[in-house]
Amino acid sequence: MASGPGRNRRLESAVSILLLVVLFFIALAVLIKQADVDMTRFGLGAAAQPDSQNTPDLAVLTPDGFKEFSSPLVYTAGNLYEKINGKAPLYLDAGFLKLSTQRFVSRTDENLWMEIYLYDMAGLKNAFSVYSVQKRADVETLSTMQFAYETTNGLYFVHGRYYIELLGSAESPDLLEAMKNVADSITAGLNVDGEAQIPELDLFPTHNLVSGSFKLSLKDTFGFADLTDTFTCRYELNGQSVTAFISTRSDPKNAQKIAVSYSDFLVENDAKPKSTADEILKKVAAKVLDFYDTTEIVFFLGPFVGGVHEAEDQKIAEEVAVMLINRLTDLTKTPKQ
Amino acid sequence: MNEQNNIELPRRQFLSRSAKAGISIAAAGVISHALYDPEGPTPGVSAEDLVTLPDFSIPPEEGRTISIVIGSDRTKAVGRAIELLGGLGRFVKKGQTIAIKPNVAFASPPMLGATANPGLVAEVVRLCYAAGAKQVLVTDNPINDPASCFMLSGIAKAATAAGAKVILPKDSLFKYTTLAGGKLIRNWPVYFGPFSKADRLIGISPIKHHHRSGASMTMKNWYGLLGGRRNVFHQDINTIIAELAMMVKPTLVILDGAEVMMTNGPTGGSVSDLKRKNTLIASTDMVAADSFGCSLLDLKPYDLPYLAKAHQAGVGTTDYESLKPKRATIS
Repeated sequence: MASGPGRNRRLESAVSILLLVVLFFIALAVLIKQADVDMTRFGLGAAAQPDSQNTPDLAVLTPDGFKEFSSPLVYTAGNLYEKINGKAPLYLDAGFLKLSTQRFVSRTDENLWMEIYLYDMAGLKNAFSVYSVQKRADVETLSTMQFAYETTNGLYFVHGRYYIELLGSAESPDLLEAMKNVADSITAGLNVDGEAQIPELDLFPTHNLVSGSFKLSLKDTFGFADLTDTFTCRYELNGQSVTAFISTRSDPKNAQKIAVSYSDFLVENDAKPKSTADEILKKVAAKVLDFYDTTEIVFFLGPFVGGVHEAEDQKIAEEVAVMLINRLTDLTKTPKQ
Repeated sequence: MNEQNNIELPRRQFLSRSAKAGISIAAAGVISHALYDPEGPTPGVSAEDLVTLPDFSIPPEEGRTISIVIGSDRTKAVGRAIELLGGLGRFVKKGQTIAIKPNVAFASPPMLGATANPGLVAEVVRLCYAAGAKQVLVTDNPINDPASCFMLSGIAKAATAAGAKVILPKDSLFKYTTLAGGKLIRNWPVYFGPFSKADRLIGISPIKHHHRSGASMTMKNWYGLLGGRRNVFHQDINTIIAELAMMVKPTLVILDGAEVMMTNGPTGGSVSDLKRKNTLIASTDMVAADSFGCSLLDLKPYDLPYLAKAHQAGVGTTDYESLKPKRATIS
């Protein structure tokens, strides 16, 4: 049996070999880790991680004759860009919370597929804002919903706090029909609490109003940073289209401040004051301005800032402004229920 | 206890060894402190790790910088547009490897115009082979999942059918780069692999409204070469597009204005966002191409600040008429 120095040398050798083996595995682990680059650093990771908490199950919306074509994905404010790129700020500025998406494909024609975009905008007004500013011109509105329209390849609508787009891969009646079924399932099955109406839309007189022309600009309306939460719509008078606007402020003092600063902003940008013969406009001290051969009118009345934007004809612009003033005057006189 | 462990150490030797051990420990501590990097390793910061995209441009020829062809058929229009610049033989030599970078940003059907038209990409691939190319690579680093983007846009199928090799991005194809004089592109991962193997680079992009930058055309198309959290650059979108134009020196860019996305860009979503303009531009000057292209969006070059920035940086000219564009109309 070995003993003394010889035994110690063998023990030292064994310990050394053991240490070398450990060092080898450490080095190997380092090399493997180095080779396993975190792809998300290069923008190549999973586009989005599904969040099972409080996220609608889109798979249940699969229409008859279709099947799931992609996994459901959920995007938050941090990665919305990975889905819609440069359009993300439009949603982020409007209170965006979450986007859920999924594709469905026809069981009989692989070229027919649709994708659901379910934007949770945290509130009806926010959802209406992104809906309205993106609304396509000359489209067919859907009577079955308050804010909805279709194009030849898509359906777009607001359901409570959600803004929903159903986008098809082709201009197909079958696809559009399937989308309508999905839309029905969403409105019937997706519970939305809270506000169901946008009261500001009732501030506008309905005479000569272009149906479906309402828009909600949440900030920077007409290029003026302080003109926020502004509803606009169009009126057709004598063959001319005129844009009217109303912004409800916190109180009359703030409304006056915004109206004055907005008209000052226009003047700073070369708008020229115009005279008006209209007594109602004079009574509310409305500012009538010429801006490169278009007419701008700005007034305040109670908590409201209102007016007309870029009208071709001063007379028609004044007519619309007076309609707004009369309507707002009636409303402010009406006692609250 | 064995015999060795019972050896008595002389006092002098004990002190000497203790001093040496102490010095060794102190030296290790000093060296460790000197080498300690509290921020940890920063990828790509060492100069030897940085790469520079090759310069794919070719010598300019007066009067053959930009061509504008009016016609509804993209495949005919692109052939004519290139012909007006001297034919593809001017751009592609026999045996060369050609990289084509179409805009494949979104997993979107070709009908919506959010991505390069697959038929147009395929035609350019065919023209490259006809001019003697050894291999044509088609690649992009899309916003959405790359495989879905290439599949649903129809570009993978069309390019492959025309004989191209489609390359999807993966980690090993990215390298870090710094743009000389750049403010934003500094130690930033860039899609490098496929382009390092290429002799020529051709960009193909549709004309689109872009919610952030105003328009997405040939210069914005290079956004697809950026890796990392590239969305941070959206805060300074005009500078990053101008820097991309400084960084990438293509052989040729093709700007597709057959159907222009007039609103709701860059994703669109409805065919009603598109307007038929029946125009196709080919150019060796991407600033000139985009300056003309923006007119199809009813914009002026001064509406897009990145054009002025690129012009000032010497990338090209916003005054495209000074280049005497070659024009043609095809039936």
